[in-house]
Amino acid sequence: MITASLLLMTVVLPLGSLLLAFRQRWQKVYLYSLPLLPVPALLAGLNAELQNWLELPWLLLDGTWGLDDLRQSFLLLTSALWATAGIYAIGYLNTRKLRAFCVFWALTLTGNLGLIISVDLASFYSFFALMTFAAYGLVVHEGTAEANRAGRVYLTIAVAGEMALLTGLLMAAQHADSILLTELPGAIANYDRSWLIIGLLVSGFGVKAGLPFLHFWLPLAHPVAPTPASAVLSGAMIKAGLLGWLVTLPIGELSLPGWGNTLVVLGATGAIGGAMLGMMHIRPKTILAYSSISQMGLITLMVGAAMANAAQTATLLTAITLYALHHGLAKGCLFLSTAIKMPAERRSRRLVWLLIGVPGLSLAGLPLTSGAAAKLAMKDALKPEQYDFTLAEHLPLIMSAGAVATMLLIWRFFWALHQSVRTGPNHRCTWLGWLFATGCSLVAVWFLPGVWTHSGQPWFVLTASEGWSLIWPILIATAMSIGWWIARGRKGSGVD
Amino acid sequence: MTATALLPVFALMTSLTAAVIIFALPEQKHRLRTFVNLTAAILKLLLVGLMIRGVFQGKAYGIAFPMIPGVEFVLRADALAMLFAGLSAALWLLTTVYSVGYLENSPNRSRFFGFFSLCVASTLGIALAGNLFTFFLFYEMLTLSTYPLVVHRGTEQALRAGRTYIIYTLAGGAVLLFGIASLHVLSGDLPFRPGGHFADMAPDLQMPLTIVFVVLIAGLGVKAAIVPLHGWLPVAMVAPAPVSALLHAVAVVKAGAFGIVRVVFEIYGLETAGALGLLSGLAAIAAFTILYGSVMALYQSDLKRRLAFSTVSQVSYIILGLCLAGPVGVAGGLVHLVHQGVMKITLFFCAGNYAETLGLHRIDELDGAGRRMPGTSVAFTLAAFGMIGTPPLAGFITKWTMGTGALAAGMDWVIAVLVVSSLLNAAYFLPVLRRIWFGEQKDPWREERQWGRSETSAWLLWPPLVTAGFLLLAGLLASAPFSPLGWVELIITREVNL
Amino acid sequence: MTLWLMAGLLFTPLAWAVLTLLTGFRRGRAITWLGIVIQVLVSLALWAVVAAEGGFQYPLGGWQAPLGIELRMDGLAVTFVLLTALVAAASGLHAGFYLDPDKDWHRYFWPLFWFLWAGLNVVWLGNDLFNLYVGLELISLAAVGLVALGGQSEALRAAIRYLMAALLGSLAYLLGVALFYGQFGSLSLSGIASALNQDIAVEGSGFALILMFFGLALKTALFPMHRWLPPAHGIARSPVSALLSALVVKGSFYIAARLWLELGATLGSLALAQLLGVLGGMAVFWGGWQAFRHSKLKQVVAYSSVAQIGYLFLLFPLTWNTTEAVIIQAQQAMTLQVISHALAKAAMFLSAGNLILSVGSNRLNALAGVSHFLPFSLFSFGLAGVSLMGLPPTGGFAAKWLFLQASLATGQWWWLVVLLGGGLLSAAYVFRVYRASFVEDSDIDHFFHPSRRLEIIPMILALLSLGLGLMAEPVLSVMALAFANGEGT
Repeated sequence: MITASLLLMTVVLPLGSLLLAFRQRWQKVYLYSLPLLPVPALLAGLNAELQNWLELPWLLLDGTWGLDDLRQSFLLLTSALWATAGIYAIGYLNTRKLRAFCVFWALTLTGNLGLIISVDLASFYSFFALMTFAAYGLVVHEGTAEANRAGRVYLTIAVAGEMALLTGLLMAAQHADSILLTELPGAIANYDRSWLIIGLLVSGFGVKAGLPFLHFWLPLAHPVAPTPASAVLSGAMIKAGLLGWLVTLPIGELSLPGWGNTLVVLGATGAIGGAMLGMMHIRPKTILAYSSISQMGLITLMVGAAMANAAQTATLLTAITLYALHHGLAKGCLFLSTAIKMPAERRSRRLVWLLIGVPGLSLAGLPLTSGAAAKLAMKDALKPEQYDFTLAEHLPLIMSAGAVATMLLIWRFFWALHQSVRTGPNHRCTWLGWLFATGCSLVAVWFLPGVWTHSGQPWFVLTASEGWSLIWPILIATAMSIGWWIARGRKGSGVD
Repeated sequence: MTATALLPVFALMTSLTAAVIIFALPEQKHRLRTFVNLTAAILKLLLVGLMIRGVFQGKAYGIAFPMIPGVEFVLRADALAMLFAGLSAALWLLTTVYSVGYLENSPNRSRFFGFFSLCVASTLGIALAGNLFTFFLFYEMLTLSTYPLVVHRGTEQALRAGRTYIIYTLAGGAVLLFGIASLHVLSGDLPFRPGGHFADMAPDLQMPLTIVFVVLIAGLGVKAAIVPLHGWLPVAMVAPAPVSALLHAVAVVKAGAFGIVRVVFEIYGLETAGALGLLSGLAAIAAFTILYGSVMALYQSDLKRRLAFSTVSQVSYIILGLCLAGPVGVAGGLVHLVHQGVMKITLFFCAGNYAETLGLHRIDELDGAGRRMPGTSVAFTLAAFGMIGTPPLAGFITKWTMGTGALAAGMDWVIAVLVVSSLLNAAYFLPVLRRIWFGEQKDPWREERQWGRSETSAWLLWPPLVTAGFLLLAGLLASAPFSPLGWVELIITREVNL
Repeated sequence: MTLWLMAGLLFTPLAWAVLTLLTGFRRGRAITWLGIVIQVLVSLALWAVVAAEGGFQYPLGGWQAPLGIELRMDGLAVTFVLLTALVAAASGLHAGFYLDPDKDWHRYFWPLFWFLWAGLNVVWLGNDLFNLYVGLELISLAAVGLVALGGQSEALRAAIRYLMAALLGSLAYLLGVALFYGQFGSLSLSGIASALNQDIAVEGSGFALILMFFGLALKTALFPMHRWLPPAHGIARSPVSALLSALVVKGSFYIAARLWLELGATLGSLALAQLLGVLGGMAVFWGGWQAFRHSKLKQVVAYSSVAQIGYLFLLFPLTWNTTEAVIIQAQQAMTLQVISHALAKAAMFLSAGNLILSVGSNRLNALAGVSHFLPFSLFSFGLAGVSLMGLPPTGGFAAKWLFLQASLATGQWWWLVVLLGGGLLSAAYVFRVYRASFVEDSDIDHFFHPSRRLEIIPMILALLSLGLGLMAEPVLSVMALAFANGEGT
């Protein structure tokens, strides 16, 4: 009962908040209410009664909502990120176009949370579309020419993606003769033209997940949005694409080595190519956006492996979830940190840099961080001997290269942030939001369900070889960065 | 003559009587006229509501009497009729409200509302017609009663548009008459009947029936704006906004589409039409129209013209749905009859609001209109997204149902049409939305009128908001029993023998 | 009872003609209105009698044919009698308000009006060729006189032209009658028909028939012999135009139709039938086209008459050598066309008269703004136009529908072109008038507003023609009864 009402409130509360947009003078209230909007979702995630579907027979084409393991983790991640970014937003935003921002924020949030709790296709697709279109409002919020251009690219690709999804989902649903997402993977697996559906779904969700060649919008759109919005776009919304893959593709139903190979190629391209492209940029947020592509590339590797070998699905799903949680929170912090103004005082400045640095290094897999756990889980899940598709033997190499590339990009980010950061006081809420996010990334993540252990052991138990496997890419990348820096004669152009 | 027999007549009479009273009223009696109008609209809505309830419970309403030797005048309320009648009754009320606000302080209101009521009476007649002949009667009455509305402004442009409109529709009517008369000679007076009349026809009838089918569709296709018979529709845009709304959403184009539905379902029968190979041709034309209309819409810089081409495209969804010839596909087509109506009327109301309140007609003038007129713009946005087929709005239900039906029928190419059309819809609607919400206002509004604190007159604001609410609910609550989709499923189980 | 009715029907008009001849305009008007009441009542009563008991032959004065004058009262005839009463009453009432009492010569309107009415009734009821001729002459002379009432020199010219055509037509008809008499020794239509059925030699009779058709077609203004009609109908005062277009031309057509239906089967030929049909078709297009081109309102309406008359001639090909069912269909179509055209055209001329009165000009473009300030007259005009276009639910549509059915049933698809194309063409000229009236070029009401009485009369006629389509079945049922019954009794 409580779960049901929490699920309903997850959607109803942010939608109901739109009433606050009716009067111009309520906009301040609205702004302050932003962090509260994802609270029901957070509670629902914490109190989830798994697999207990909530039937809404009058809704759309027969609505069904609910949570399972996967959805619970994604819900917690997403709601936490939206909540912290919401706090941050209070401090970040000035009064200009405040109302519009709040409206689009609430709508995007509704879509993002709603799609996670949807078990039927129509609700899922509705929320997905809501998120897609409302996010446009966040992207172009600043109203600059650059933002408008980014918005246009975003919308174009997003609409194309929506259509691919519509087609794929239609075919799948028609074949499954059911509107429940849970029925789709099985139906797709039994379909003689499953390649078409899978292709459509991979590319449709791939738009959101920043799949290479569908990613063009991402480095344009994520950075131009207001910083709290960038954080949720890159941290949470990008994961919606991933969730879409996980709930619709016939993962665990049958082994499709062909798709495994394809996704591994795409993942590798994203992981390494994304990082390489990111190196060319000097805006911190753009670099972070490319980093997202790169990280999603690594996750794509796992999705590909799961497609290739149905037997490994369970392990891989855990690893993917863990990686998604880790990346979402860490990336959220990093985005939020881009608009933090440095305190004038040296000691506090060091402390701030430290707090910015740790999530960054966590992304690269610094031991004792969530990144380490995620990376180890990934390495564990992607051991080549478990697979027999063509590219399986290259997986360790790709992962290592990806790790090096990640670290390089993180250094690039630190350097770029250092160049652009300004000194000055921060709004209380900016601090609060950022600290919350960092706290989540560094600490709270361990208390989320399913994160506590990796390969059966507590996270802090590392064997030496595991530790070394995490450290050496970091060291290599660091050495390379320093080398380049010196070679460039400290002229300030960094790794270029 | 029981009440059940007379209920359709009463419903018809409400708007006819309103028309007569309004014509008789002096021009200056604005309040009285508004009162008559609204009373009639509400009364009609009630009557239609009563009939809907009755039909749902399985009652039959109808009346028939001989008119010309060999031909009967038949009014009959079946579930399919109520789909259209309900739509027209509901939207008439809203359009009346809207028109009262729209035409405030403009001349010739008596004439306008008189013909407006006639137009709605014709629409109801079309819905309730029990055979092709009666259908034709109201079909032509509709043509005539809309002409004065199209040329209402009396400008050179309006008159030209009126001429185009009347040439197209009357020629279409003549072709239709030819078809109906031929059918009559072939097989006598045919009442609309589920499953059609030609399930087991003589083989020598095949050829003539095929020709007659083509003729009938060509005649009806003019109003349904099937390419290449659509030329009148974009031109007719010069009419006042409520008229455009009515033409596009309820009356004229729907009359054509509804006629095609009747001919395909209840004269020929889906199976016979399919067996004659007629549906695939029709489907191809409908598909072409869908794409053509959307492409043309892209090139329009005038908001109402863009909407007009969008109508060309959207109405053919209904026809394409029929051609899918399966229970789901047909449901998609039929439900679009309502959905398109609600969405398009919202769009036209909003376009009218922009024109009337701010003097904006062109799309590139709309920058920043969202801030000035948020209510209107929200309604416009919802409707535009609905047209694109974004869930959870009404348009999505259409597309989803049709898509599923297409796959079930093995006509996968229809999916491609749906997708390309949605992309094109997005391509011509999203830029408009971008201007409305995110554009920076450059010039002062052309002719701004103030209504105190409200963005525009309440008469103008509420109708689009209500219809936008409809289209949201029609999508959100699609599975509820009295939603358009629910009603269409009732029609299909009861009257379309599939 | 029937005696009195018949007497009333035939002699009231003559008596009233004489009476009004002796009085001035105003008193004539009062007398006429009284007469109109009587005539309408008598017509209604007769209609009721026929509807209840079927048609009958009525020997006038008690003498049987061939000596006496025999009248034939069948459903068709009584329907036309009633139609005449209606239209004449409307025109008479309208004229009473419309004509200027101070113009001296207008007083002659009343006697001419009554002569015309008498002539029409004779034609509807006459059963022998000579009687019909007398009726025809009476009509023509009265009509010429009425045209001349227009007063200007132009009106006189048109009247004289009309007179010439009418005389020529009468002459041709009379010649045909003489030939028939020589051949059969009888003037009674039924007599000739029964003689023909007994295979009496028919040589030369075909020629006689053609002569009569020529004369009648000339009087009916069938294309290409229509040239006299537009000037005459156009220049005449509006109530006169209404009478001429609605009734007068139908008189001669009625005779032609009777001749064809009774004698055509034996004396006619496919070529003749088709020729008449083709001329009718050409009339539809030519008249429509001319109506579309003309810039004067009444000319438009007059040319529209030329076109509408064309439809009537489809009767001939559609009843030639075909089944009884189709013949009946075609007859019904023709009847409906006559009635609906009479009502619609009368309404149209009367409302056109009102419009001209209001704008002070006969030109189409003077109508700008009329729809704003004079919606009522325009509305009548428009409703009448709907019937002319043949759109449902008007009588014009019912007629077109039946013609279509007959054409399709006999496989003569080419008439479809005429029926559908003609409808569109009439839409073109009617909408030209609407269009002119919807132009908004000024906000000032500079129009003269005719009295409501003037406006209401055409409205009633237009509504009747509109409703005819819905009531076609009952109206035709009276006729069908008489067709079946009338011959023997």
